[in-house]
Amino acid sequence: MAYVATRGGERAIEQAERLFREELGTIDMARVAAIRQSMPYLIDRVMGEASLFDEDMAALALAQTGGELSEAVLVLRAWRTTQPRLAVAAPLLQEDLLTQRRISAAFKDIPGGQILGPTLDYSHRVLATDVLEGKPFAPPAVEPAAKPAPAHQPSLADWQRQQGLVAPAQDSHVAPDDIPDLTREPILFPASRAHRLQSLARAETGGVLALGYAAMRGYGNAHPTVNELRLAEAEVVVRHPSGTPFSAGRVRVCQAEVTSKEKGGYLELGFAASFGWNEVKVIAAATLDLNSAEAPVGSPVHEEFYLYHTESVEASGFCIHFKLPHYVTFQSVLDAMRDAKAKAAATPVEAEQMEPAE
Amino acid sequence: MSLASLTKPWAATSYGFLDASAKRELRRKMLKAIAVPGCQMPYASREVPMARGWGTGGLQVTLTLVNPASTIKVIDQGADDGVNAASIRRFISRVSGAGETWDTLEASIIQSRHRVPEETMREDQILVLQVPNPEPLRGVEPNMSIARQMHADADYGRLWLTLYEQLVRKGRIMQGAAYPSLVNGRHVMTPSPIPRWDVPKLNMAKHLTFLSAGREKRLHAVPPYTKVEPLVFSDRPYRVEDHQDLVCRRSGIAGYFMNEIPQDDGSSSFEVSDSNLGIKAIRRAEGETVDIGQTWYRGGEFSA
Amino acid sequence: MLTISQPDAAEARCNTTFEALMWAMARPGQVRDMGEPGLAPVVEALIDRECVVHTDSARLAQFIANTGATPGTIEMADHLFHETLDIEALASVRCGTALYPDDGATVVLQAAHGTGTRLRLTGPGIDGVCDITLAIPPAFWSLRAALCAYPEGFDLLLVDARAVIGIPRSTHVEVL
Repeated sequence: MAYVATRGGERAIEQAERLFREELGTIDMARVAAIRQSMPYLIDRVMGEASLFDEDMAALALAQTGGELSEAVLVLRAWRTTQPRLAVAAPLLQEDLLTQRRISAAFKDIPGGQILGPTLDYSHRVLATDVLEGKPFAPPAVEPAAKPAPAHQPSLADWQRQQGLVAPAQDSHVAPDDIPDLTREPILFPASRAHRLQSLARAETGGVLALGYAAMRGYGNAHPTVNELRLAEAEVVVRHPSGTPFSAGRVRVCQAEVTSKEKGGYLELGFAASFGWNEVKVIAAATLDLNSAEAPVGSPVHEEFYLYHTESVEASGFCIHFKLPHYVTFQSVLDAMRDAKAKAAATPVEAEQMEPAE
Repeated sequence: MSLASLTKPWAATSYGFLDASAKRELRRKMLKAIAVPGCQMPYASREVPMARGWGTGGLQVTLTLVNPASTIKVIDQGADDGVNAASIRRFISRVSGAGETWDTLEASIIQSRHRVPEETMREDQILVLQVPNPEPLRGVEPNMSIARQMHADADYGRLWLTLYEQLVRKGRIMQGAAYPSLVNGRHVMTPSPIPRWDVPKLNMAKHLTFLSAGREKRLHAVPPYTKVEPLVFSDRPYRVEDHQDLVCRRSGIAGYFMNEIPQDDGSSSFEVSDSNLGIKAIRRAEGETVDIGQTWYRGGEFSA
Repeated sequence: MLTISQPDAAEARCNTTFEALMWAMARPGQVRDMGEPGLAPVVEALIDRECVVHTDSARLAQFIANTGATPGTIEMADHLFHETLDIEALASVRCGTALYPDDGATVVLQAAHGTGTRLRLTGPGIDGVCDITLAIPPAFWSLRAALCAYPEGFDLLLVDARAVIGIPRSTHVEVL
């Protein structure tokens, strides 16, 4: 049985996992609560990529993976996918959102006003090193405005439509219950708009930023102007079996609308939305959406390219799968190479570009 | 009617991990995959508790098929105790209660990455191959929509051209594993990155094969008794790896696909890739009564 | 970290039914046992709210509606559950496209095995030839041959009580 003893893979993988988990230590409710409380924007990023809005579960996923983001998203997605789909929530209108931040770069002022809300945009990015010397950083209190901003804000695009700047909104022919669901059917190309926006909503933040930035730098055909950026809370309105709509709770959402230039007498709009407050992601994603229409096949701003390559679970999984043994495929390549070399005999052959082993 | 009537008692996971609707979708697609052999069928591909690219496609097929009476064998590179094979087998068994085995003859479902076992599979067995890239045309056409159109038109000219160019430049076809093969005379498929050695085992086989790519969300199938023909030119016959004369340094058996182990002195020695076949041969040599099945290759030659 | 549930009755039924359907499709002409009689077990194993279904059976229609599937005409349906054979009506069954052969319908039909027209099947899944007898008239097989321009076509599951026979579009059917 020497053959078996020298392998021992099963024990090795068990111990390797133990090593990882032992270093993280015991995970309890207190740790989950501390992560949830102190890292709301990280929680939002993870919830967005997982397409699962549950702050406790997101915090738990971060705790049990030690903050390895792609692993955290994977455990959430793997849990989410087993859950039954009980209802389809009612579509949201922008003016119905409980809006906490809403800005536009297109106009100095907009109907409803520019509401800055919570942001680091204008802060000086100085590391609070005093904290490490034992002096806690207690943020100064916010001074309330004389008149609080209204909870609801109109949609800027609606005003632009009234002005004839943006094409009139068209009624969707798809019943709310029949909106295609990316998690229940594969994305095929050209993708339905629902599939494209769903895929962007759960895309990997860094990936969307990289490709969105490529579009902004000139690999796309549109330089975006942020028409409207909104951080808000949305009611999840579902229908009771008796027929009455009711709110099942609130989720944090963000959305970006970007515009560039005139097409057919109207401003084109690119759109993206996501669970959680993920400003960078939705601006980059809306830029990709805006660029899609005229993108050449195979370019980074073509939907097949950016949707496939920003799928966080697929991209990270495939990347780490290259750690798996590939010696069968490699052996197969070696065999062909040696034979070809033998054939070439005396004359040396230049190394040939080979298909990558999979 | 109340909200409660729409729900059921909370359970952490369903039997076999996948929920009922995921299984139904896979069942529908698996039937279509059998009905059109070698044709890639799109499916939603749920996330499973394993990273994409680590056998999630194969896993979804296995989890749809499995029941407590199933016996599961999982191999990676031919070995049952490869780290990922062990992990997948443990997971399947954990969520289904199915039996585990290393023995090809005992398994009802064999999930594999990169190999087909050497012992001939029977009519009641299912082989589930994990597929990283289901598209044989990816090398000549990375855009999936265009590649799909090429399959629709049975337009495989560019693939043939690639093989022809290799012949002209190198004197032989350089394709290593994942050799493109024509199924039922209509669709070119990738047999997954199995070595050329294993492709003939799929041709007119007794068993049923599913090939499933979780990350790429495509699955295809080779039913029993279905033609699988590697793409070759009539005057240049298909060549498997030159392993027929290699001898396993541990078990002493020869005529099977081998792993090459580089030696300090610059030479190589070899170990049989189907690790449990090697184990069974060692046990038999040590005097145990061991059931070794008929193999596809005999004396290093393929015999259908 | 993970609690395993045992298969409940529905899970066990669907698993058994599907195994029969899968092998029926993989080995055209061979009879498989679904464990339960009729078309309902096939509905239970395959159909949910993602499907568009046509049936000629009022009794089955309610059962199908409970799965959440959308009722549709023969032209629209991806799954058909018919207790009687209406050849003319089936002429409009979906056959998919060369681009998406999987859009071809699955037709589940109640039909007696071992009586009626003698057929010779050849093709994938069949070791040589397979001769069977089915209570389905030759006109249906002519229609099928006309509709199934491989890889386009529809796939048949023929149910007789608990027994099922599969005839996928890849099977060549010769009326003897």
